[in-house]
Amino acid sequence: MSKASSYGRKNLVISILFTALVFFLSIKLDPYNQGQLSVALMFFIGILSIVLLTGASGQISLGQGALMAVGGFAAALGILNLGLSIWFAIALAVFAALLAGLLLGIAAARLSGPYLAGTTLVIALAIPSLATRFESVFGGDVGLTIDFGNPPAWLTSLMGEVGYEQWQLLATLPFATLALFFTSNILNSRTGRSWRALRDNEVAASLAGMKISETKIFVFVISSGFAGLAGVLYGLRGIVGPSVYPISLSLLLLTGAVLGGIRSILGALIGALLVVFLPDLIEWASGSFSPSEQIANYLPAMISSILLILTVVLNPGGIAHGLHHKKSHH
Amino acid sequence: MALVAGVAVSTLAITALPATAASDPGVSATEIVLGMQLPQSGAASPGYNKVDDAMRGYFDYVNSKGGIYGRKIRLEVKDDQYKAGLTVSSASSLINKDKVFAFIGSVGTQTHISVIGDINRRGIPDLFVNSGYSGFYTNPKLYPNSFAALGTYVVESKIVGKYLKDTYPTKKIGILYQTDDFGRNALAGFTTAGLTFEAKKTAVNFIAGTQGSLGLASQLTALKANGVEIVIIAAVASATAIAVSTAAQLGYKPDKWVVTSVGSDATTFQTILGSKGVTPAVSAGLLSGIISASHAPSPGEATDEYVVAFKKINDDFNKGPDKRWDNNVLQGMNIAYMATSALFGVGKNLTRKGLVSYIENNGSKISTAALSPLAYSRTTHEAFTSFWIGAYDGATVLKPIDGTRVLYTTDSGTGPVTVSNYVRPALPADAIAKGA
Repeated sequence: MSKASSYGRKNLVISILFTALVFFLSIKLDPYNQGQLSVALMFFIGILSIVLLTGASGQISLGQGALMAVGGFAAALGILNLGLSIWFAIALAVFAALLAGLLLGIAAARLSGPYLAGTTLVIALAIPSLATRFESVFGGDVGLTIDFGNPPAWLTSLMGEVGYEQWQLLATLPFATLALFFTSNILNSRTGRSWRALRDNEVAASLAGMKISETKIFVFVISSGFAGLAGVLYGLRGIVGPSVYPISLSLLLLTGAVLGGIRSILGALIGALLVVFLPDLIEWASGSFSPSEQIANYLPAMISSILLILTVVLNPGGIAHGLHHKKSHH
Repeated sequence: MALVAGVAVSTLAITALPATAASDPGVSATEIVLGMQLPQSGAASPGYNKVDDAMRGYFDYVNSKGGIYGRKIRLEVKDDQYKAGLTVSSASSLINKDKVFAFIGSVGTQTHISVIGDINRRGIPDLFVNSGYSGFYTNPKLYPNSFAALGTYVVESKIVGKYLKDTYPTKKIGILYQTDDFGRNALAGFTTAGLTFEAKKTAVNFIAGTQGSLGLASQLTALKANGVEIVIIAAVASATAIAVSTAAQLGYKPDKWVVTSVGSDATTFQTILGSKGVTPAVSAGLLSGIISASHAPSPGEATDEYVVAFKKINDDFNKGPDKRWDNNVLQGMNIAYMATSALFGVGKNLTRKGLVSYIENNGSKISTAALSPLAYSRTTHEAFTSFWIGAYDGATVLKPIDGTRVLYTTDSGTGPVTVSNYVRPALPADAIAKGA
């Protein structure tokens, strides 16, 4: 059996186990945590876009939230104007984000480091504000209302009553699994190795015959597709609009990526769970202290900032790297 | 396999999170749980972040008097920072974790629109929303459980627009509005009243929330260049403060400023300018003469019995960090007062359907501090359909123009503006309305 097919089987098994675990959680959790877990899966896909782009290929983007917005708006327009079902709208969203990634990638191929970070930051600020500029199309500040709708009849006949949050989680799960399977495979493939070569030494990669610009563009396109997918799922929670995809969303995803481990799929999952559940964990942990609203509202941001600083200083590889390191020592 | 191990660990971690009680609708023999969403932090929070503390203060007062048929009211509040993504999450938290019986007093049009469908789909009462966006209320079939806490922006703008047209027929009137449903609704109301504007010349706009970072100099320069003599501001209070102070810096002195009620709170105006180094005396001078409208008494009316009673309750029961008496506090107190009236009105057998039905069928009987009647019915869930017009004096109190308060009324459609003879019922002795 070739090494590639061995990786493929392993990745398939992991993806199936991942699906089974999340499905188990979708039955066991209360509706609030079902909703939170579905957001964590959406962020998992979004952070995977950063793992591919920054972790694997070394290109910095501060604008993944903007690509999420592209996906969200494309789907909303498809649903509201063309009457698409959410499934076709999701496909449309990914396609639109791939196109946006292609355009962004062409520009990004000429840039690197802080210049690329700056450019993507501007895009993160600019794209959501287009909704206001062309408000008759994109709904202005308020945006466009879409949602997952009600669970399909076949699901309720199979599982009994399915709550809205549970349906949201179950509808998100296949896409998170696909994203996991695809990322696992591509990172273990020849393509993934070429991306890492690009990240580790661009000159050496070029001398080895790699087409640097084309590779950079390709990574941007794939990464954008992931971001667009995360964006449409995030928008399907109720609304697509500028205040759904603010610049802080891009930074939140980046925070999750760094905390979890920017070069690791496990890190993406840990980071997503951390940024989504951190406020709940803080609320739970600080329950006996009952801090005032003025303190409680800022605690999650403050603690994640402290964790971010500690991670960068003490454990730049993130939690996943730390776990892997510990395991290898044993 | 590390990924699977990670998921397993995460599974344990998530299932270890605090469990929530089984299907509790938020009402028990001893408690009623209400939920609220608002920006407690972030750029849009100044002023509005006092509303929840005022509401809680009034509910604590009611609780100290025995609550609603023995049930104490607990208000759970979530900060959404005026970001719709957070509004969706925090609504889920209030619904599924806190198990609220009803939403109350939620602040913001563009945030509330992200959850209003879900709240209504679940049949949860959505009481007294702090948004004047008519789209939430004028078609109850769309959002059967949502009720306003404000007059709609269209109603207010029609009334103020007619006043301006009648009083200043020869003046050149312009408008500065924020590009969301609040601003657009207001613009529609002024236009319905017969005022006409020319885009980018006498009608300028800005993206809601950007006034702090981008300023409003270019918009005001356009109004100045086009000779606008009366400037209407249809925006939040922070934008009003920035617009008026920026105009002063530009040497632009229109004959009159006219500000919609939600954007003209004196304390917020002075606090924002104070943070930019403007002294209270100077900011009071900038505010003086500004025309605005209100459905309620001015918080500075020392002889109004509701103002006196609510001010005392605020002093005694508000535990918020900033309990300075102003429009926001009065609004919060009044929402809690109205909710208490409705909850008493439903009776001891409190249900979500019963509460919605009671408000729809007894809208005119629900007690309120406002000088306008409530319009709640089966055909509309708008709150106040009447406004009086006033101007700020040097002591930052909104007072009726020419000293006599005239109440005008209209609808959110194209109906005429007429004078209202409504007389507000007297305040109960203990300042608690016990239903119709």
